Amino acid sequence: MSPDIPGEGDLWRSSWEAAVDGAVAVVDCREEIPCNPCEEACPTGAIRVGPDICAAPRFDPQACNGCGRCVALCPGMAVFLLDRREKSGFARVTVPYEMGERPVEGEEVQVVDGEGKALTGGKILKIRALGGGAPTLLVTVRVPESVALKVRGVRYRLMERDGFREVDKLPSLADYPLCRCEDVPLERVRDILRTGLKSLPSLRRASRVGLGYCQGMFCQSSLRQELAEATGREGEEIGSFRVRPPVRPVKLGFLGGGNA
Amino acid sequence: MNLHEESRPLVVVGAGPAGLCAAMEAAGAGLPPLVLDEGSQGGGQLVKQIHRFFGSREHGAGKRGFEIAVELVSGCLEGGAEIRLGHRVLGFFRDGRLLVDGGEGVFLLRPGATILATGAVERSFPFPGWTLPGVMGAGAAQTLVNLHGVLPGKRALMVGAGNVGLIVAYQLLQAGMEVAGVIEVSRRVGGYLVHAERLRREGVPLFLRHRVVAAEGGKEVESVLVEDMETGALKRFLVDTLCLAVGMAPQAELAAMRGCRLVHVPELGGFLPWHDREMRTDHPGVYVAGDLAGVEEASVAMDEGRLAGLAAARDAGVLDPGKAAARMREIGARLELLRGGPFGEPRRRAKERLCSLPGSARGREDGDRVRRKGRLKKR
Repeated sequence: MSPDIPGEGDLWRSSWEAAVDGAVAVVDCREEIPCNPCEEACPTGAIRVGPDICAAPRFDPQACNGCGRCVALCPGMAVFLLDRREKSGFARVTVPYEMGERPVEGEEVQVVDGEGKALTGGKILKIRALGGGAPTLLVTVRVPESVALKVRGVRYRLMERDGFREVDKLPSLADYPLCRCEDVPLERVRDILRTGLKSLPSLRRASRVGLGYCQGMFCQSSLRQELAEATGREGEEIGSFRVRPPVRPVKLGFLGGGNA
Repeated sequence: MNLHEESRPLVVVGAGPAGLCAAMEAAGAGLPPLVLDEGSQGGGQLVKQIHRFFGSREHGAGKRGFEIAVELVSGCLEGGAEIRLGHRVLGFFRDGRLLVDGGEGVFLLRPGATILATGAVERSFPFPGWTLPGVMGAGAAQTLVNLHGVLPGKRALMVGAGNVGLIVAYQLLQAGMEVAGVIEVSRRVGGYLVHAERLRREGVPLFLRHRVVAAEGGKEVESVLVEDMETGALKRFLVDTLCLAVGMAPQAELAAMRGCRLVHVPELGGFLPWHDREMRTDHPGVYVAGDLAGVEEASVAMDEGRLAGLAAARDAGVLDPGKAAARMREIGARLELLRGGPFGEPRRRAKERLCSLPGSARGREDGDRVRRKGRLKKR
């Protein structure tokens, strides 16, 4: 039968064909990111990334022994196993699983596609833990062959999708602090800017933004942003706060050499 | 005032991936350092990272962040480095001395050389309601769930679809929270596709071209108002937690205090100390590595740390320059690979631009300088 292959089906056609003899990997990794644990994990050399670790992995299903180590060790959870040996219209799909709810062998579970939509219910045939100290669970589910290549996960919690409400009109928004340590409202900073102050140090002194407990760690970028918008300057032209010790809050008694 | 003062051939500030790799490399070369960190355990941000790492074998790829932290700490200690936790560096003076709060009191350190690996701090931005309890950095939420086992709330909205936003949103689900969605102002997901897909298969919707208008609530966050930037339509999410993952800024305060030249590089997080390809600043004996030297991945931080450790050991005369050069070439080639692909390319170019600037030019500092007579001098 011809499966309903999502997206770049030819990418997995060879996996699909090889899966009639037993489990093989389906590698759903299409982006150039610096990463090669799948290659490291593979005992048979079926997955190759090569010296340029940004290259997408190349997969040879003929060399794959279906061990599943790549499924457990892929940091992107983008490798799955497909096994069509049943030849009964059903296939076995193995997905990596790292959620809190513990799956149990033999139970029925929601099987979802890449969008999180329920494809079908599936029976959990097998659960394995692979990958060292904090292992990844490999959950093998039995699903209709027609959806096998779409399976991307099993889910216990189905959240309400689009959990938001439409709002007709903008409620009135109150002024808010730009700097929370010194409690300086945004409007206060804008008033000061309207007087024509153009330098970061003078704005800092006039507004007290950045002279509080956090020493500017949380507000400096906001203040620079306001200054940039008011003056049309940016980046290095605006400069940054002059830094003085202590860069972390400390008891005065400590600085006196005591341990008060 | 007489403060207790210690001398050390090498001090590393920060025990994250960059600082620990720097310490390990320097110790291996015969210059065992003192490593200071304000945290209660070594490893920096790694200690709360439960996801498996990208990169290659040298970066612990395929292992989880907190596992890598344990390996790096023990590697450092075995190599002869000393790690002092709960130590906050309060100042880095122009004479090269460090002012340190060791928890029991302050003391001074006089290092032969210093490697700054102070990392980055999460950015935030102000909006109506941003000071309500329940609004927090994504990293703070990650610390709560993964380090302290505390849920920040029942239902969260994540702002920012870069890797931090995507990864932390997934980890909130793992901890048992609901995630109502990830909103992102730009037209595309900034993080890796695989991270976005892991989240979508859990039923978490991504809202591109959306921005936060306000967090709403009396005593804490009860809902968040979001605008669709294409249509102007408003959505109200009923959440009790709003996580911000809108970028990081290098923690360059100590470098600035020491007088290191700061350069503004937007692709790398903003102001950061100028450095060359061997992680040397414009001040002899002061090196930088990791997110402080430009916000990138932990794998990059590890390799930059190794470069800084080698450079410090070589400049101190304990490591043969030929040996140092050979090892640096090997690490430099790895960094090139890590900065390959479409994600690394902008950072690679920014880093090239930064390193090719002349290091001796004095950077502009915060406008005014106080003269001895106390008169303000205008620039």
